[in-house]
Amino acid sequence: MTKIIEFKNICKEFKIPEKRTGKWSTFLNFFKRKYKIINALKNVNFSIDEGDIVGYIGPNGAGKSTTIKIMSGILTPTTGECIIDGYTPWKNRKEYVKNIGVVFGQRSQLWWDVPVIDSFELLKDIYKIKDDEYKDTLKLLNEALDLEQLLPRPLRQLSLGQKMKCELAASLLHRPKILFLDEPTIGLDAVTKLAVRDFIKYINKVWHTTIILTTHDMNDIEALTNKIILIGKGQILYNGSFDTIKNKYANEKIIQVEFAKPYEKILLNGYELISHDKNVAVFKTKKDTEFHTKAFINEISKEYDIIDFSVNSLSVDEILARLYKEYELQEK
Amino acid sequence: MKNTYVSIFKMEFKGELQYRAKAISGIATQFFWGIMYICLYMAFMSSDSVDGFTITQMASYIWLGQSFFALRFPGIHKSAGYEIANGNVCYKFTRPINLYNQWFTEYLGEKLASTLLRFLPIIVIASLLPTNYALSMPVNFTAFILFIISLIIGGLLCVSISMFSIYLTFVTLSPKGTTTIVATIANLLGGAIIPIPLMPSAIQNVLNFLPFRYISDLPFRIYIGNISITHGLIQIGISLIWLLITIVIGKLLIKNALKKTIIQGG
Repeated sequence: MTKIIEFKNICKEFKIPEKRTGKWSTFLNFFKRKYKIINALKNVNFSIDEGDIVGYIGPNGAGKSTTIKIMSGILTPTTGECIIDGYTPWKNRKEYVKNIGVVFGQRSQLWWDVPVIDSFELLKDIYKIKDDEYKDTLKLLNEALDLEQLLPRPLRQLSLGQKMKCELAASLLHRPKILFLDEPTIGLDAVTKLAVRDFIKYINKVWHTTIILTTHDMNDIEALTNKIILIGKGQILYNGSFDTIKNKYANEKIIQVEFAKPYEKILLNGYELISHDKNVAVFKTKKDTEFHTKAFINEISKEYDIIDFSVNSLSVDEILARLYKEYELQEK
Repeated sequence: MKNTYVSIFKMEFKGELQYRAKAISGIATQFFWGIMYICLYMAFMSSDSVDGFTITQMASYIWLGQSFFALRFPGIHKSAGYEIANGNVCYKFTRPINLYNQWFTEYLGEKLASTLLRFLPIIVIASLLPTNYALSMPVNFTAFILFIISLIIGGLLCVSISMFSIYLTFVTLSPKGTTTIVATIANLLGGAIIPIPLMPSAIQNVLNFLPFRYISDLPFRIYIGNISITHGLIQIGISLIWLLITIVIGKLLIKNALKKTIIQGG
């Protein structure tokens, strides 16, 4: 596998005006600004192989978007080196961006008041795409995303999901080698989300496009990739397979129990009570104890009369929340 | 495969043509301002002419200004300013294209479409008004040709001066404030508020050394015969130099702004 993206010791500092508080503060701020240095990225190192789909995850404000912006040539890092497909993004911007596609889930790249197809045609001319190549690409995108009916309509008339489909298509018209997706599924309904995920997988397969995506929806990650990079407070905390992380928490189980009659107080050896409401209680296995069904039934039926119970593993979201907590990334 | 800039230009043109109500209300507004300005300056011009600038010439000068309003009024492209303020401009960074050229072409397209939609009805109605209030014919055919040439250069100069608003928007993040400042300076010093022939000669001399009067004052005065053909030709040359200078400065400023840009949030 050849490495297509290499990030070496990238740091990014932002200088932002610091607001004073208290009496006369606005007045003072007007005349004299105090500045505060924020380290958005601290010595970030990673590399990504060609043809991979990589999930780039972390809590809000971790530095995900900053990284994407550096990779797409929008921001210049304070120090460090970054080679993507042989280019330094912020140095050879015009040459470099021909090979990349970018979608920012919360922004739009298409023209607001003209039909979508007109925007596509303009992008075709901006990227200088050959006629027959454009036709082929459009046909493929059309089939994969079902765009036929959307293309003649102005962007302003489309729903959020329809817009996202068009945005994705727009970023791929020039068949980029690398695709950056910054929260591509934000605000989408279930059906569209699935369609977008299928499409991302499809593009990766047919064109071998390297895809880097940031998201807060862990189902995106589960559906698309096993490779994740976890970033928090501007530092890379984990870079590897998602399964490893999942296995780490595989022992932890959540058990919901329904009793025949309500109990005042419930205590169970070896288990932690999470919630209790009348005749329903939820337990969690304690650290380093393995869950065993027979042992659990024996233990609980000693004192309580149970009707039913169910055992669940941690959801992906819970695993992530656990992970953030472990690295103390949660904002207080 | 078409030229990228031709396509951008066409796109803006198409977008602008969609707003018919905007064009119609624009025509009505321009007509109202035209009448108002003429009445105003008529009240000030007690004699028939001021330094050879007659009332009939004044009326024509005002009407041309209203007909070609969009082409002579520096502003900012309808989406460019907000794009910079809200960060959507980041998409422009990811295109293999020079941003200055793109904004220049976009704004030129918007201005031309908007002018073409409005100028004819105003010219026709203004020509039919009673003498002293009407738009007269150009003094002669040569003057008319020079008028067209200088108007085109003036339009380009107006766009290149408008590009300073883009730079200032990068600095202040307030497209409305910056365009107001740029437009006010350009309009006042370019004769769009008070026709330059009505200004004191000392001020006129100063304004000759600034780029602003080449936007609209020069073409309009060639049209009404207030500037001779020979003088007109020389000044068209000067306006070309100004066009070049403003484009070079604008390009340098925007290049510098792009380097420092930080795009925040999601």
